[in-house]
Amino acid sequence: MAPNQHVLLSPAELAYLHEALSLTPPIRPDGRAPTQFRPLVAETEILPGTNGSARICFADGTEAIVGVKAEVERTRGYHGDDEEEGGEEKREQEREGQDEWVELTVEIPGYREDDASTAFLAAMLSEALLADGGFAKKLWINRRFHWKLFLDIILISPPLSYPLPLLSLTTHLALLSTRLPRLKSEGDEDPFFDDDWAAAPYLYPQGTATTRPPITLLVMAVGRNIIFDPTKEELAVADVVLAVSVGEAATDASSTKGKGKAPGRSLRLLSVRTVDPPSRVTPPGVPNATNSAYGIAASAQKQPEARTVEAQAVEGVWRAPRGGAKPAVMAALVQKVLERGGVADEVLDALDAVELG
Amino acid sequence: MPLDTSAYSLALLRVDGRRWNELRRIHAQIRTQAAADGSSYLEMGHTKVMCVVTGPSEPGPRRGTAGAGAAGASKAVAEVAVSVVVAGFSSVDRKKRGRNDKRNLELQSTIANALAASLHTHLFPHSVIQVSLHVLSQDGSLLAALINAATLACVDAGIPMTDYVVACTAGSTSTYAAGDESADPLLDLNHQEEQELPGLTVATLGESDRVAVLVCESRVQVGRLEGMLAVGVDGCKQVREILDRVVRDKGKRMVLEGTVAKGEGLEDMDLD
Repeated sequence: MAPNQHVLLSPAELAYLHEALSLTPPIRPDGRAPTQFRPLVAETEILPGTNGSARICFADGTEAIVGVKAEVERTRGYHGDDEEEGGEEKREQEREGQDEWVELTVEIPGYREDDASTAFLAAMLSEALLADGGFAKKLWINRRFHWKLFLDIILISPPLSYPLPLLSLTTHLALLSTRLPRLKSEGDEDPFFDDDWAAAPYLYPQGTATTRPPITLLVMAVGRNIIFDPTKEELAVADVVLAVSVGEAATDASSTKGKGKAPGRSLRLLSVRTVDPPSRVTPPGVPNATNSAYGIAASAQKQPEARTVEAQAVEGVWRAPRGGAKPAVMAALVQKVLERGGVADEVLDALDAVELG
Repeated sequence: MPLDTSAYSLALLRVDGRRWNELRRIHAQIRTQAAADGSSYLEMGHTKVMCVVTGPSEPGPRRGTAGAGAAGASKAVAEVAVSVVVAGFSSVDRKKRGRNDKRNLELQSTIANALAASLHTHLFPHSVIQVSLHVLSQDGSLLAALINAATLACVDAGIPMTDYVVACTAGSTSTYAAGDESADPLLDLNHQEEQELPGLTVATLGESDRVAVLVCESRVQVGRLEGMLAVGVDGCKQVREILDRVVRDKGKRMVLEGTVAKGEGLEDMDLD
């Protein structure tokens, strides 16, 4: 589902909304601050048949469920018998992951799975996940075997707004709650696991300063204003829309944990994608001066608006944004996301508070 | 994994400890999703499904998916479009079912036909009722659970209908090959039993004996069919009772919370 879904707003309404959002500070239709998120409902481990699962309901009613399933698979390309003596450290170094160990599918009701927009969503989500290279490593069992992780992302509700942040946050929670059975065998033996589920360790161990799965946030800019968690209507007047994926950088020692509320976590930019803003396809308004159905211009020429609309912008008349984003705006957008104690930090904190199990 | 069916005759208990005429636990919720016109969540044992109903609404632009029939074929009545999404993680071994999987298509058309017969589609000409079903976890009686969830969601969407379409499964205690004449019928099969024993899915219109759906995908001696059908229809009555309770409880709660006003003539309705 392309972000440009039919928003039923007239050019006049679009112009008004755009103007309100470009004020300093911007005035959003729902009265939120520019960096404020809408409330959401989240729960994890809802499906006992999966390795990890989560469900999130956004305030606009969109809802997603993610289930993670893992299977043991034989690693291809290992031919065995290059047995060398090496200690535990050597073994740790050998740990390596391949991107194809993670399979991510997105299911949106009413859209085919090979639809371009669905494929794009899946690509953005898996790109963020695999960007740091550390994720696939967690799936390594020994040199002959690895876990294959299947992430099935299902949007339950009809796609009302661009579901990228929803799917990303749900995937984040599902991965946090994912557990893999505890390995009992050693070395390169055929893997043998503990059948006690209570002993199964989490894929992302808790309480330690390890990295967490990434999150992808949708950020938009109107003029010089940067707005987080845009609604469908706000997206319809955006100048730039970015999907920014951030992960938590591995913190040295437990500096943030120890001293209570430290300045925040150090975040790491994993990927940035521009999303084609739906405002591009909105119909332009026609200024009165050139409106052939109105006043003086009516007699002047036949059909002049087609050319004049392109020519100049008139105050208060909606005109779809043209051209790319200014580098300064792009830089500001990314900067704003990565800020210590900023929005991404807040979101991660909020997700932290979701109880596992 | 073969199911040890011989043990049944000893204690008359099934593998999960139920008797022949006992349903599994049914837990249902309606209005689970704020954005949809109607929604429901239903658990029958470990089978968990979610349903979201959109509509009746104007048909959108046709997408290239497998649409049920050509547009314009039935303008006089609302079209019921059902899509079933079986999550990859729903079964024990992850298996991805395509959207055009034959089993999926059959489930969709069965549910669409059953609903179309019970909903008053003639009240909504030129419109579409989009029912999307999501299977989160599978443990037998999938079609029955889907039909029940779809019914609940349609009730929540406020689409007029003659009565609940309720479904459940019935089976027989011994396999077809055993040819056991004294086989007892069983109610509400789980996955294990479904694999091993003959079974059928029956849906009825409310508490009546009118059968709306009857699907039997396994070989069974015709002599056992009557008993199975009778047990199934009886189970449907129990299911209707449960679903009705869910709807009434939700309605009561909504009146108490002030979400909706009490209907006319209900001033003396007992709310506690």
